[in-house]
Amino acid sequence: MQSEKEITTKYLTLNMGPQHPATHGVLRLVLDLDGETVVKCTPHIGYLHRGMEKWSESRTYPTAMPLMNRLDYVAAVANEIGYCVAVERLLGVEVPERAKYIRTMTAEMVRICSHIIWLAAHAIDIGAMTVFLYSMRDRETLLDLFEMLCGARLLHIYPRIGGVRCDVSQEFLDGVYKFTDKFPKLIEEYETLIDQNRIWFQRTKGIGVIGAEEAINLGLTGPTLRGSGVAYDIRKVSPYDAYDKVEFDVPVGKNCDVYDRYRCRMDEFRQSNRIIRQCVEKLPDGLVLNPDAPGLDMLPGPIKKAAPVPAPEADAVPVMSPAGPAFTEIYSATEVPKGELGYYIVSDGTGKPYRMRIRTPSFMHISALPRFCEGNLVADVIALIGTIDIVLGECDR
Amino acid sequence: MTLKQFIKRIFLIEIMQGMALTLKMMFTHAVTRQFPEERRDPIPGFRGRHAFVRDSKTGKEKCIMCMKCSTVCPSQCIYISKQKREEDGKFYLAQFDIEALRCIFCGYCVEVCPVCALVLTEEFEYSAYTKEEIYFTREKLLANWDEFAAKQKVETYFNKFWRPEGLDTSKMTKFKREQGPVLLKPGAATPEAAQVPAEKETA
Repeated sequence: MQSEKEITTKYLTLNMGPQHPATHGVLRLVLDLDGETVVKCTPHIGYLHRGMEKWSESRTYPTAMPLMNRLDYVAAVANEIGYCVAVERLLGVEVPERAKYIRTMTAEMVRICSHIIWLAAHAIDIGAMTVFLYSMRDRETLLDLFEMLCGARLLHIYPRIGGVRCDVSQEFLDGVYKFTDKFPKLIEEYETLIDQNRIWFQRTKGIGVIGAEEAINLGLTGPTLRGSGVAYDIRKVSPYDAYDKVEFDVPVGKNCDVYDRYRCRMDEFRQSNRIIRQCVEKLPDGLVLNPDAPGLDMLPGPIKKAAPVPAPEADAVPVMSPAGPAFTEIYSATEVPKGELGYYIVSDGTGKPYRMRIRTPSFMHISALPRFCEGNLVADVIALIGTIDIVLGECDR
Repeated sequence: MTLKQFIKRIFLIEIMQGMALTLKMMFTHAVTRQFPEERRDPIPGFRGRHAFVRDSKTGKEKCIMCMKCSTVCPSQCIYISKQKREEDGKFYLAQFDIEALRCIFCGYCVEVCPVCALVLTEEFEYSAYTKEEIYFTREKLLANWDEFAAKQKVETYFNKFWRPEGLDTSKMTKFKREQGPVLLKPGAATPEAAQVPAEKETA
């Protein structure tokens, strides 16, 4: 008779994705399994690589903008705003007050959209079907509002360098205000379904525990980091647009597990709702686009009028320029629904970026996924992919 | 475990609450639309199929071959060429093609056009079996406009990207500043809207 210790087993290699519906896009995970426990997890990315960073070097700043919403396509406006903020800091362009408020409002609307998609996908992955249906129903209201605002439902192309593209109509503002009235009740509906549900508890509590220090070391940002108990939010730390003029709280988790990250995002729904409401109430009058900002027909040659001398408040550092155009570089970060989206642009004083690098939250989160998965069961991998909230378009760029 | 928690656990209170919500939803209105039968009107300003505005005076397109649209087009899907006419030495529009399969519907071309010649109509159903059908030449773009105009119930049409609200108009061309709603059906009221561009810009 062989004793149990003498039986040797080999690890089973399981390929999850890239066509798996629960991997939120084209993510491929190679899992080494010991029984049902994950020993090693290797993410393979790059199935959606489109060469955005290189491509944008061949286009002028305004015409590269429509590409940026292809990063995180469920929160298109947030990416565009991030890009515009970066270019505005680089070129020293002022944004009118009204445009700032409109941008803040749309960014928060799209945050709700993105979190709704996250909640729907996360819940249906774990097994709660009804949440998916209810949340998709409410996203529709927001998409209709976006259609009214800028004529597109998903890829909005709404902000412009130095403001936004067109003014909001009264009908749109009424619609948004009505939505903010209604939305808290809808959040309660989602919570009735899963918040105290024992199946939800068992699938999420105590899974994927990552402490505050380790979360920072892994480079997590956004709600994924805040669920680990770190109150780091770029909207508070270095405010852009109108975030310093509106009141909101940063929800923070305590137990650092999947459930706390879920709670964090549910609280962010309420905070976003609050911000939108304040923006509608405080919306000032005036132009929505700086008349001196570079227009759509910006030339690719050297910028004549406003040389890229950064504004004093911008943290651009001029680097060596022995001859030829003045090189300037800038790193500008904004808080998108997934986390910290940073644009690093090197300018040589022309209408095109000399080099552009995009720091995307999904890329960082996927690189932390092996740490999340190791030692957990295969079924938990699905919950863990959900909790880091990734979009592969953003990861692969 | 307190008695309250024990009761909650035994009687599945939280699951019953969820079930009650779904049961309640059974008696509310359906939110889905049965699409091909039930349609929603597209919201004005939706960026859909491309068209050339047919000038009610000349009956032709208003394009002045300034090449602005093909310059700003992020996906570079607009092809324009102009040729010199032998008789009077003036340039005329020889080719204006939009490869709609490559278009990303950003509407930049509509916004930069100095004479408001281009428009992204609210038309969104135009799938086809061949590539050629969605390769819009100049004639097709005008036909798109006629098709769009025939479907509209109102007399005039103004696209919000011709002159977006809330922008400083002083830098826009005179024609863009004065652009009013265009007539959809030719020959009804006085064509106040259809003005001839003040200065002919070439290149």
